[in-house]
Amino acid sequence: MQVWTKLFAKSPFKPLIKHSEVVLNTVETLERALRLWYEGDYGEMGKLAVEVDRLEDVADRIKEEIRDSLSSRLMMAVAREDVLIYLHMQDKVADAAEDTAKWLLVREPDGIPEEIKEVILQMGTESIKAAKLVHEAIVQMDRVIESGFADGEIEREYGIIHRIEGVEKAIDELDTKLMQSVFENADSMSWADGLYILNVARTLSNISDKAKDAAERLRLMMNK
Amino acid sequence: MEMWLLITIILGFAMAWAIGANDAANSMSTAVGARAITPKQAVVIAGLLEFTGAYFFGKSVTETIRKGILDPTMIKDPNVLVYGSVAALLAATIWLIIATKFGLPVSTTHSIVGGIAGYGMVYAGTAIVNWGKMTQVVLSWILSPIVGAIMAYFVFKALTKSIFERRDPVRSARLWSPFWIGLAFVVIGTMFYIKVLHGKSLRTGVMTYGIPTGLVVFFVTYFLLRLRFPSSDPFIGVESIFRKVQVVTSGYVALAHGANDVANAIGPVAAVYAVATMGLSGMKVPVPRWILALGGLGIAIGVATYGYRVMETVGKRITELTNTRGFTIDFSAATVVLVASWMGLPISTTHTVVGAVIGIGLARGVKAINKEVVRDIVISWFVTVPVAGLISAAIFKFLMIMG
Repeated sequence: MQVWTKLFAKSPFKPLIKHSEVVLNTVETLERALRLWYEGDYGEMGKLAVEVDRLEDVADRIKEEIRDSLSSRLMMAVAREDVLIYLHMQDKVADAAEDTAKWLLVREPDGIPEEIKEVILQMGTESIKAAKLVHEAIVQMDRVIESGFADGEIEREYGIIHRIEGVEKAIDELDTKLMQSVFENADSMSWADGLYILNVARTLSNISDKAKDAAERLRLMMNK
Repeated sequence: MEMWLLITIILGFAMAWAIGANDAANSMSTAVGARAITPKQAVVIAGLLEFTGAYFFGKSVTETIRKGILDPTMIKDPNVLVYGSVAALLAATIWLIIATKFGLPVSTTHSIVGGIAGYGMVYAGTAIVNWGKMTQVVLSWILSPIVGAIMAYFVFKALTKSIFERRDPVRSARLWSPFWIGLAFVVIGTMFYIKVLHGKSLRTGVMTYGIPTGLVVFFVTYFLLRLRFPSSDPFIGVESIFRKVQVVTSGYVALAHGANDVANAIGPVAAVYAVATMGLSGMKVPVPRWILALGGLGIAIGVATYGYRVMETVGKRITELTNTRGFTIDFSAATVVLVASWMGLPISTTHTVVGAVIGIGLARGVKAINKEVVRDIVISWFVTVPVAGLISAAIFKFLMIMG
């Protein structure tokens, strides 16, 4: 009886995990690019920045596919809106990584003080953490459903979400610190360098911002 | 008359085939979907057990007019019974084949009931139909899936609560898995008595078959799990325990299905056989073993030819069904069917199983269910009796004019 094949619709969770893997990959590639940027190897950095752009495209395609398959005909264990908004936010993480990569490409920053570059590098490391945690969170969400929303698994999911919020806060602090030092160094830097570095910082903190928003949606999924 | 008997036998065989194709695949679907067995193994197991159920445990006395839908005293002319049986069989078979084609899990019992009511009304008007019985049948459309859903919802909640939500899931799995499996075997043992051996008293069934079987299974499972738990991950461990159990539970469903539903195909054949050999059109007639064998063979061939394709697709496409959920569906459906048949309610296994799947979905145990398919299934349930009735009525009218 073919009904079994049709009664169960294809769950969006495996594709969501796949999407999240690509997003994670995008952010990881950006982090490597940032390191090369810090070391001054602009040639190699450029190659990785282009790769970030390509990976973002892949994430986009998966996102579209999931959206198309998530019709309102599905009866799901979580609210459809939450899945769609989570997906949107998760995809924005990759978008933000791509924006950072674009900014990195526009200029070779020779006149930027070491301390500022260090803060940027730190922000990169933190944003990677946020993306990794969101990935962990969606994998755990799958497990929450697998267990039939067992309290222990929900607890674990909340734990991950808390950690994402912690990372987001850390990046915010680094962002503030960076703004201050840009203006402290205003005399030794050109306005173009300032504009450049502040935009790199803005896009980097965007990564964790969106990661936090994505996590927020996962939280809502659990109390449908 | 011999010619009519031959025609009925062929039709009975076709109906049995359709039952095997549409229905019998159900019993193994959850096991195949949860990857407990391969589609090939499922076909062999289901085919053998369906045949065994039909041949050895099929009722040797059957009602010529299934479930007493028509008033037999109003059928004076034996020819009416012959034409009517042919019409009902043909109508039910046609409807089952259409439903199978569209992948709709309709009840074979409802199809044959519709067919019988259809010819009855053409012959003697609405007065011949036992409307009390008909109401029961209609009620079962509505009750089976609802009760199935409620049961599965709570079984699933209780199962996950008792195992996955404990501080030490492996430890609680060691204790609770044998409990759930044992409980399932209490139901299976009792059902074996009532459905397969056609026993009457629920008490006797529970005491002499259910509880002893359940206890033995509990202790065997308990000690096996003490010796070795399949994995350090409670999820994987529990799933692998239930994977093995599922083979047994669905095998049991196949056996009970064969024992019961074979009557849908051979009941009308037996009616014509009685007219042909004894010239009477009574209510209850003995069924010769070879007719039972024929029914069993038809079902087995239905499983092998069409059910195979179905189970293969299932095996490839359902990844959403884990073993605990498959077990929950089997267990809930079996319990509901058992209690219902004890209360004398004509509940449909097919409807109950679909209800159970939805119940687990409502318990947030299944990631995604296709609402449109659920709607189609419900519509198909509501049209089964009227459609089978209309087809049967048309065929009967034609035969009466020709005959």
